[in-house]
Order: sequence, then C-alpha cells, then structure tokens
Amino acid sequence: MRSPLNWALLGLVIQRPSYGYELVQRFERTYADAIELSSPSQIYAALDALRRRSLVEELTVGETLEAVRQPKPHYRATAEGVHGYQEWLIAHLGDERRRSRLFACQLAALAPPVALAVIERYEQACLLQARGARLTDADRHPPDSAGELADRLVGEQDRLAMGARLQWIEYARRELRAATHDRAARR
Amino acid sequence: MTLLELERVGRRHRQDRHERVVLRDVTLALDAGELVAVWGLRRSGRSTLLRVAAGIERADAGVVRFAGRDLAGGGEGALGGGIGYCRRGLGGMEGRDALDELLVAQLARGTPQSAARSCAFWALERTGAQGCAACSPRELDTAEAVRVTIARALVLEPSLLVLDEPTAGVDLLARDGILSLLRSLADEGIAVLIATGEAAALSGADRALSLAEGELRGSAAPVLAPVLALRHRASA
Repeated sequence: MRSPLNWALLGLVIQRPSYGYELVQRFERTYADAIELSSPSQIYAALDALRRRSLVEELTVGETLEAVRQPKPHYRATAEGVHGYQEWLIAHLGDERRRSRLFACQLAALAPPVALAVIERYEQACLLQARGARLTDADRHPPDSAGELADRLVGEQDRLAMGARLQWIEYARRELRAATHDRAARR
Repeated sequence: MTLLELERVGRRHRQDRHERVVLRDVTLALDAGELVAVWGLRRSGRSTLLRVAAGIERADAGVVRFAGRDLAGGGEGALGGGIGYCRRGLGGMEGRDALDELLVAQLARGTPQSAARSCAFWALERTGAQGCAACSPRELDTAEAVRVTIARALVLEPSLLVLDEPTAGVDLLARDGILSLLRSLADEGIAVLIATGEAAALSGADRALSLAEGELRGSAAPVLAPVLALRHRASA
C-alpha cells in the first residue's frame, strides 16, 4: 500500500475508532496542510482499501459507543494495522532522500551559473520560511492534544531540517562556483 | 527611523603574512524595534560583522553609523553609548555572582548603589533570570548565562542589542524562551541584531539574512509595508 492518504487515515483510526463522516472531518482538520482531499469519497475508498487489507475492522454492534436505532459503522485498527503503520513510518525515511536526490539532479541539469542563481533564490525562500517558524510558548506547558503535539513535533523537525538545508546550500554554492571557474578556465 | 547603518563595509584580518577578507561590501540597516538575524557557518564573518556593528572593531572600508553617529573610532568606548553587546558565554565576568555582575557594569558608569541595585533586579526579572541573582558563573547553565548576559546589557539601557549566537549550546526546550525574550525586547522598541549558526534561531525575526565568505545576502534594509492611498467612503 503506497497511498499516503491511506496511511494518514489509518493513523486517525489508530488514534480512536471513528465512522466515515467523522473521519472525513478529522482528516480535513488534521492534514489540511499536508494532503489535499478532492472529495469525501476518497476517505470511503481508503477505508475500504484498509478493510480489505485487514488493517482496520468494523466494530460489532455491541462495541459501538452509540446506542441508536441505525448505528453508523465504526472502524478500529487491527493489531496488523498498528504494526504496519509503525513500520511504514520508519520506511517513510527514504522519501526524504528521494526528494533531495530529485532536487539535486534537477539543479545539476542547469548550467552552473544558472544553478547558482537558483540557489540564491532557494536560500532566500528558506530564510523566509525559517524566520516565519512559530516559537513555542515560553511557559512550555505540555501539549494538551494530539494535534498540538503533532504541531510541535513538525515545527521542530522543520527547524532542524532547515539548518541542514542552509548548510547544504552553502556547500552547493561552493561546488557550483568551483564548477563555474573550472569551465571558464578550460575555455 | 534607521538606528544602525552599515554601508559597503569591508574588513580584513591579518595573521602573520596572510590576509583574509572577512567582510565584503556589507550593507545593512536596522530600525528601532527590529529583530534581524544573520545566519552563517563558522568563519563566515558573522562575529566580525557583529563586532563592527557594535563599534568594537573598526571596519577597513565603508561607513558604520549608529543613531547618525560615525562609529569609525572603534574601541570599547562605543559600547555603553546605546549599544549593548553580548558575546557567547559569561567570559570576562567581573562580579562574584550575577547580581554583582550587573552592579559592576552600572557602578563603573557612576550610577548610585541603590539605583543600580533596583535596576539590576529589574533587568534580571525582565530576562527571566531572577532566580540567578546569587549564582556564580559556574552555577549557571547555558540558557541562564545567556539571560544574565542580556540583563547585563539591559542595565545600560541600550537602544541596540547585539548578540553573538544567543542560542548556541542552549537546550532545545529552553531555546525558544530566549528567542521569545529577544522578540519581546524588539517589540518594546530595542533594535536587536543577532548572528547564529542555527536556523532555528531565525524564528521570530523580522528579517533573516545569510552571511557566507563575508558576503551578506537578503534584505539589507527594513521591508516597509506598501503605502496605500486612502479611499473616501462612499456616502450612504
């Protein structure tokens, strides 16, 4: 299963059992900045895919929290789903490397002076993003919701990654300058 | 109003027969109430930039003005005249403890003892270091040392605060507290200029610039909001 949407949805079901419409709402709230939902039907299709792979299962009537005449089908994660989700989180590390490689290959395709100009603009965009990062509350109260915890974790990850990115930009700039001088000397 | 101006500043460091260009044609302007952060690797020239901006080190070329005054004279005399400079750590601490350190700075300027004491307590409280008053330098952790250093600068009522790597070595959980403090000082009208090797320390800055091989990149001057013409409200 490769769809990030399916895995993201599985995370929500692991967090707490939910029914379809509630999952649509929670998905939009939680992943608004990360995964765009073109239609609510994507959530129902993803639930179906998770169920077919035995990563989620439907709660039986007695297990649902609601005591209503027509209970909505609630879904919870199976042990296999929880394990698979954890494995996927770790395997996900490779994505970052693939993205970095793609960017480096695309940059290297340009002539060094042009790539240098791109690097300058990329650096300015990074600096803009870095200064816009939100500071954590001075009193450091513990996060009181999964959403706030995720915000803090993502925020810190972004800031630390930005440090590595700025250092990489400096390295790339030196390499591109050396390549520019080398080409000029060979002419 | 522009408080600090660096115009085409150049600086070379000489060691034996070798000479290294540390700052090349650096232009930078800071307004009162602005927090400007400069990111750079080691040996990028970031500390030299701060020392030149604070008037501690003389530029070889260009002009450095603070509140319209030329800082070309250099020397420590430039400090205490509206510029507070915080280097890394509490090196060169004269006092036995943090409170004493803040008193020394003021008494040297002729401030009466009682006024100096109340100002020192105010500065320690303002920087969140009130619990450090009786601590010796060895008893302070890195974040506390940074807060005391800022307090030491604040007692001299600076309009420009210059800090070299204020979050270096500071625990991740304490780092944002220091950045929030700097942000709040800027919001009160003090111009703040920091140099850092950590991207995380750029958070909350009004402008973030980078310095590499002595070249400064980014917005050299404050970015002003566009002036919009007022429209007459259509009468009902």
